[in-house]
Parts: sequence; structure tokens; C-alpha cells
Amino acid sequence: MTRRIPRLGIGGPVGSGKTRLIEQIVPVLSRQGYHCCIISNDVVSKEDAERMQRTLATESRLMPEDMIIGIATGGCPHTAVREDPSINLAVIDEIEQKDPTLDLIIIESGGDNTMTTFSPALADYSIYIVDVAGGDKYPRKRGLGIESCDLLVINKIDLAPHVGANLAVMKRDSALVRPNKPVEFVNCKTGAGVDRVTNHIVRDILFDRPLQRKRKR
Amino acid sequence: MNEHEFQLMQLADSFFPSGMFGLSGGMESFVKSDRVRNGNDILSFIRQQIKFQIVPCDCAVLVAVMKAAKKGDIAGAVAADNKYYSMKLVREVRIASSRSGRQLLRTLLHMANNKFARKFYAKVEAKESAGTYPACLAVTAGALGIPEKSSLRMMLYSYCVSVVGSAVRLAVISHIEGQSILAQLTGDVNSAKAGSNVANLWQLAPLSEILQMQHEQDDSRMFIT
Repeated sequence: MTRRIPRLGIGGPVGSGKTRLIEQIVPVLSRQGYHCCIISNDVVSKEDAERMQRTLATESRLMPEDMIIGIATGGCPHTAVREDPSINLAVIDEIEQKDPTLDLIIIESGGDNTMTTFSPALADYSIYIVDVAGGDKYPRKRGLGIESCDLLVINKIDLAPHVGANLAVMKRDSALVRPNKPVEFVNCKTGAGVDRVTNHIVRDILFDRPLQRKRKR
Repeated sequence: MNEHEFQLMQLADSFFPSGMFGLSGGMESFVKSDRVRNGNDILSFIRQQIKFQIVPCDCAVLVAVMKAAKKGDIAGAVAADNKYYSMKLVREVRIASSRSGRQLLRTLLHMANNKFARKFYAKVEAKESAGTYPACLAVTAGALGIPEKSSLRMMLYSYCVSVVGSAVRLAVISHIEGQSILAQLTGDVNSAKAGSNVANLWQLAPLSEILQMQHEQDDSRMFIT
């Protein structure tokens, strides 16, 4: 019987910054001694998986290339992580057999706010990421993605003044539609706020103390 | 309703978690290479695949494993499963078949307590058996009491729905045309007969295999196969 590795789901609309968020959090987790694997559910192209293979494996050597896996989803990314996660679960089985010492499996999937959430059989904890360019009405309009996730991340805060988005309104509305659930504002391009996201991951999925653990394999 | 009819509908339903929605059965590569352009092409593609690949290979394995399960012959089921795996030349087809087969068995173990299914699953987990989709579907159908003939039709129907569904998502046909194509396949599904002798398994679909090997290398694609 193989060890069950904790699983983090990261969902969000196309262009919201899912891949960039992963590229930011993996190095932070790596510095704290955590080793990750990434499954990228691609809607059409292998672009995201190949980009992460380059940035996180080839260039920064934070993980082996074969620990970043792309899955084609038949055009239905939210079906692949919500209603029928069979193929994702099969890939996770293979990962758990291949390297049971991993600390975290990150499952990325595109999908709009109205329908995207992760099957409880697939993810133990989920992040939904949106960006301010969608307008400050985004959290207020609700949807399965925003309402059901464990952590809501609002990205590209540097663009807020340019697109007329009020971050205070987004914060207020997030608290209204997600009572007692956290929201973090980040800029994945510069890394601002990403440490707070990783702190949630370390504390709430890995059940560890943020920034305390140092480990070498 | 006969006892097995509910289980038959449950397994054939696209809501059943088999991962089939991520497969196009070669349709995506045929569309991309401009060999499939309309409903008639789709109908012709499916009929060719049924005749030269699905019935003589996939359905034959299904029937062989169902017969083995009936006799409690684990070795026979494993042999048929591994033979099927060895015949699939396209790497992604082999992998996708094993991934969906294994998950199908896991779902079954939550639906029914069947000794043969547990034994076969143990062989798959131990990597002694490939756990391909037709073999696992056979074990599942047998465990749920679905007769051979109905199981064979169910697998063919699911295949047709999967391929037609992918064509709709690839925007080659409309949803209404998709239903019309499925209706035209009724006779093909109902009249299909497969042998069960594993030694006689065959398939002949070289164009489909070559295109799917190219599909594996595509930068942009919607489906696993």
C-alpha cells in the first residue's frame, strides 16, 4: 500500500495566473524542504506543462522533469477535476508509486468561476485564482470556484488602478460571499504576497509550521 | 426491468466515471489531417474502426475475459488483458486504456463485493496484469451480472458515444447531427459478434495508428488519444 501524498488543487480562468502562481510557490516550498509534483490539466495545448518543465526543472532544477505531467482533458477541464477525475487519479497512483517521499502533488486546471471546483476524491485543499482585470465585481458575482475553494487568490493587483478595480471592494465582497474563508491579494509577476499563499499551504495541507521546516533529501 | 438493466444503463451512461470523455479514439487526428470533414466521414470512420479494430480486438478481449471470469480463471483473464496491451502500438492508447481500466475497477469495488474482481484488481495492482479498459470492463460487467451480449453492445455503444461526442466538441458536427449518427449505428452495434479465442485476436488499422502516433507529438490538442 503506497503512502497517500497530500494534494493541492489550483483552478482558475485562462490567463488568471495559475501557472505563474505555481512557478512562484514551488521555489518557496522547495527552500523550506518540500518536494512537489505538478499535474497540469491542459485545455488544448501542452504550453503550461512545457513551460513549467523549463522553468522549474531545466532552469532551476527544483524538480525532475518527469514530475511535471500534462494531461489533455478532452476540452472539458472542469469535468476532469470535478465529475470524472479518473485519469487524474490514475496519474496520481502512478506518482505515489514512483516517489512516495514527495510532500505535495499540485493539480492545476483551467476552468471558469461558475463551474470549477475539485472533486473531494482528487484534492484535499483547493485554491481558486482570479485576476483584477476581470473587474472588482468578480467576487460579488459568486460561482462555484470562488465560493467553494479553501483559499481565494486575487492576482495582478498592480493592474487594479489601470482597470478601475477597487481592491477594498474585492476584499469586502470576498468576505461576504466566503465567510470565515481566507482571501489573499498577490502579484505573481513580482512575487508580492506569494509567501502568504505558501504559508496557507504549509499550515493547512502539510500541517506544518510555516517557514520553520528545513529538510534535505 | 431485468436485474442487470440498471447496471447496464449505469455503466453505459456518460456520467459514469471512466475517463472516456478525454479520448477521441483517433477522431482528433483524423479531423486535424483533414480526413474527417463531415457527418458522413464520421459515420464511415466509426464503422471502419468497429470492423477492423474494436470488434476483432477490444470486443474479443471483453468476451474472453467475461468467459474467464465466469470460470474463475484468473490466469486466462490476465493473459487476455496482457495480449490486448501488447497489441496496442500507440503508447498513449495503451496508457489511457490502463489508466481508465484501473479506475473502473476501483469504482466497481465500491459498487459490488465480487471475489473475482478483487483477485483481478490485485493482479493489476501487482503489475502482473495491464488492467486495460476492455478487460476491466469485462470484469466489471461480469461482477454486476450483465450478460456477455449486452456487455459487448454496451462497450460498442460507449465507444460510439465517445467518438461522436469528441466530433461534436471538435465542432465538426452539431449535437443534433451527432444523435443522428448514433441512430445510424444501431445496426452495427446490435449485429456485432466477437470471438473469444485470445489466440485469434487481430486488428488492422495502420492509418489510425500512424495518425495517433503523430497526435502524441502535437503541441496543441484537446484529447489524450
